[in-house]
Amino acid sequence: MEPVGHEGLGRLLDLGENLRTPHIVFRKEDLTEATDLESGGSIVVGKPFDLPPKPLGLDSEKEPYLHLSENIAVLDNASSLKPQKIVEIASKIRKEAGYARLVYAPAVEPSEMPILAYLGVDIFDDLSVELRSSTGWLLEDGHWVKNQSNDDLTSINGEELKRWLSKIRSSISNGRLREFVERTSLHNPRVSQILHYSTKVLVEKGAKIHTPIRANALSLQNPSVIDFQERLSRFTPPVENMVLLVLPCSARKPYFKSSSHKRFFNAIREVDNYLSLHIVSVTSPLGLVPRELEFCYPAAHYDIAVTGVWSPTEVEMIRRQLSRIEPETHYSQAIVHAGSSSEIMTSLLKERGLDTIDTKAERPSSFEGLEVLQNVARMSLNGTKPVNSKQRAKGEAIGLANFQYSNSDFLTTSEISGRMPYKLRCGDLAAISPVVGGFGLTLNGGKAYASNGGATIKAENFKLVGDLFAVGVKGYEGDWQIGDQVVIEQNSEITAVGIAKMNPEEMVSMKRGIAVEVRHHA
Amino acid sequence: MPEAFVPLTDFVNEAKSIPREHALDQPVAKWTEDELLGDELVEAGVAILRTRGCYWSIKEGCSMCGYFNDTVPGGVSDEMLRKQWEKIRPSLKGKRYAKIYTSGSFIDPTEVPLDFADAVMSDMKEMGIEKVLIESLPEFVNPKNFSYTNAPKLEIAIGLESSSSLVLDKCVNKRLRWPHFVKVCNSARNNGAELKAYILLKPPYLNEKDAIEDAVQSAIDAAPYVDKISINPVNVQKNTVVEKLWMRNEWTAPWLWSVVEVLDRCKDLPVRVYSDPTGGGTRRGAHNCHSCNKKVLEGLKNHRLGRGDLSSLMCECKSRWDVIKSQSSFRRNGSEPHGYRSGFSNGRRF
Repeated sequence: MEPVGHEGLGRLLDLGENLRTPHIVFRKEDLTEATDLESGGSIVVGKPFDLPPKPLGLDSEKEPYLHLSENIAVLDNASSLKPQKIVEIASKIRKEAGYARLVYAPAVEPSEMPILAYLGVDIFDDLSVELRSSTGWLLEDGHWVKNQSNDDLTSINGEELKRWLSKIRSSISNGRLREFVERTSLHNPRVSQILHYSTKVLVEKGAKIHTPIRANALSLQNPSVIDFQERLSRFTPPVENMVLLVLPCSARKPYFKSSSHKRFFNAIREVDNYLSLHIVSVTSPLGLVPRELEFCYPAAHYDIAVTGVWSPTEVEMIRRQLSRIEPETHYSQAIVHAGSSSEIMTSLLKERGLDTIDTKAERPSSFEGLEVLQNVARMSLNGTKPVNSKQRAKGEAIGLANFQYSNSDFLTTSEISGRMPYKLRCGDLAAISPVVGGFGLTLNGGKAYASNGGATIKAENFKLVGDLFAVGVKGYEGDWQIGDQVVIEQNSEITAVGIAKMNPEEMVSMKRGIAVEVRHHA
Repeated sequence: MPEAFVPLTDFVNEAKSIPREHALDQPVAKWTEDELLGDELVEAGVAILRTRGCYWSIKEGCSMCGYFNDTVPGGVSDEMLRKQWEKIRPSLKGKRYAKIYTSGSFIDPTEVPLDFADAVMSDMKEMGIEKVLIESLPEFVNPKNFSYTNAPKLEIAIGLESSSSLVLDKCVNKRLRWPHFVKVCNSARNNGAELKAYILLKPPYLNEKDAIEDAVQSAIDAAPYVDKISINPVNVQKNTVVEKLWMRNEWTAPWLWSVVEVLDRCKDLPVRVYSDPTGGGTRRGAHNCHSCNKKVLEGLKNHRLGRGDLSSLMCECKSRWDVIKSQSSFRRNGSEPHGYRSGFSNGRRF
């Protein structure tokens, strides 16, 4: 059993012999009936496994929710439990079942399989499909179509079901399972509801995989988006009493690399004390992205249809983001130069009581637009306290470190050098890394992080070359999500830092698979 | 007494919360129905007395039983019971067969006082009633509880539910053991009573196939000790565990085809086995598809009254029942998707 991919709480497991989860079992081939009322019979996943006893006399709304045999954990009633309950159970699946058991949900509708796989279910069966086949319904892309001809629906639907599962598997390996789930949730209130309630658990426990987000209205609920937005309340501008400059987002990411943002920069750098301008881009679905955070996932990893129209939900979202930044306490003034978003931004900033100037440029990066921007900036910065580049770099590093780590003192107390975007570093502890998306820890940084209570993985005592595999992990301290930076400790010494590729308990219980993708060795 | 199965016991107790108010001088219901007396078709008078109710339902109760909804927790005075009886009497005039139910045990002396029961029995005897059916938990089937001074022939119906202790403990929550049932049947027969056993079809948690097997096996086990067996498909009564499971779609009421199959497989037993499904044809009771419910219920009624057999019943939904039966034990509960019995055909839209 080797985890080869994660998304949300779900995982793509390689079981050997061309078997991968999420997997489908067929009643006629893979399930064996129990000999008495109570026992559960057996299931074939590569080889036969016993199923746990049937849940006779139990209340499905009380813990424990899963029924366990040695190798299988059954999630009964997955197709009828209330959406909130399903999500609550999902958050407890690993506590009850561990990582070594396969999670099986019997009698699930195909349309609910993607969301359940996203929440951690490994095995499904064809019982629901069998009932539909026997009443003349054809499975097509997860939906049921009434079939009038005399086709052998059982085998046709069986094949379609296999394809449906292979779509789920390839979605996980491409990091596009969330998109698949969002697609099935359209016109399916039950799936939408489960998806809606699962946001919190996905933010807290879901794997952070840096797939580009192809955003739409549903992306406002995307866990990475929510996570980014929530972290913004830890962010502070580099220096107090700067002038806030609100710019539009750009198609090219990170924004500072786009031609429009280069033109903006070239225009404002000619103004005296331009370091007192703090650039924040306004966008959907993220809301506000300060310049320092443009590397952080998903700020540089999304694409959205640009319509120039802001929906009330998006306006509300930006209002919430402004309340996280509290511009009225950190900035002396604001300049809004954001094209079609200007009007909304201006009124939202004025709502918070900040002195705001709207440049009213319809095409912000046009020659005329830039000229207006330059003039307004010159006017606003006239007489402000000068900010030097060293001071500003330190502030930027603190803002970014706070955003990345809840307790970032170990980084920010070091000597900060360089400047945004690429050369910024915290002593010999961390340097900007576009791959990590923010500060990537060096080995020394890892030591500081570990002694500061950061996630530490205890590995067996061997010469670590390349990545750390699960078989070499013997314990851990702290908590992390897949995609977070972790530190590897061998024989009480920090020997490497890298990116976690498995969940904490999973590393210990798995015998195969990459546990940590190592970035720096001792 | 067997030990309680704690999860289900808690579940059963939680289900009963609704306060109830009833007129104490009125019986719960009274009606007449066709019934066989020996081999003769007669009109039987049926009445349900409003009483304190079943002692077991006060303590814990069975998972499918909602009859406590009709009871009066504080008890009903002797005087009120007599007033109820006065209202029942006219409907029993001229009848030869009477069924006097309570929402509990007629021969539990703490529920129906012995004096009152004795008076009712002699009253019926004087009215010319030949046989009277009463119901009781096996605990009270003791000759000292039904040695009336002057009574018609007594027929005692006992809810056996199932002969499997696993089903009784984990699905029904009834503290009954098979040897005890056999003992009380023998003792009642020795004291001149006839016996009737109720067997549940598809108690909660059981799936369609296991339910059929359990009912058939229970009927075979019970046949030597009783005179009649009534197969009772479980129906969804208010404020019960069954209702909770049904609402959550973890269990659905049995198919009428399952009733037909059980009766068919019991046709060679030496006793009469029949079924009169409560709530038959509705979502809360045993049902098939929309198009054959009436037909099959009519067939069951004819079978019950000895007027026909069940082999001619047929409908296209029977093949669906075959499919659900073949997969039901893999579903791990007694559920099936909404609308399956009618082939997921959409209802009429306006």
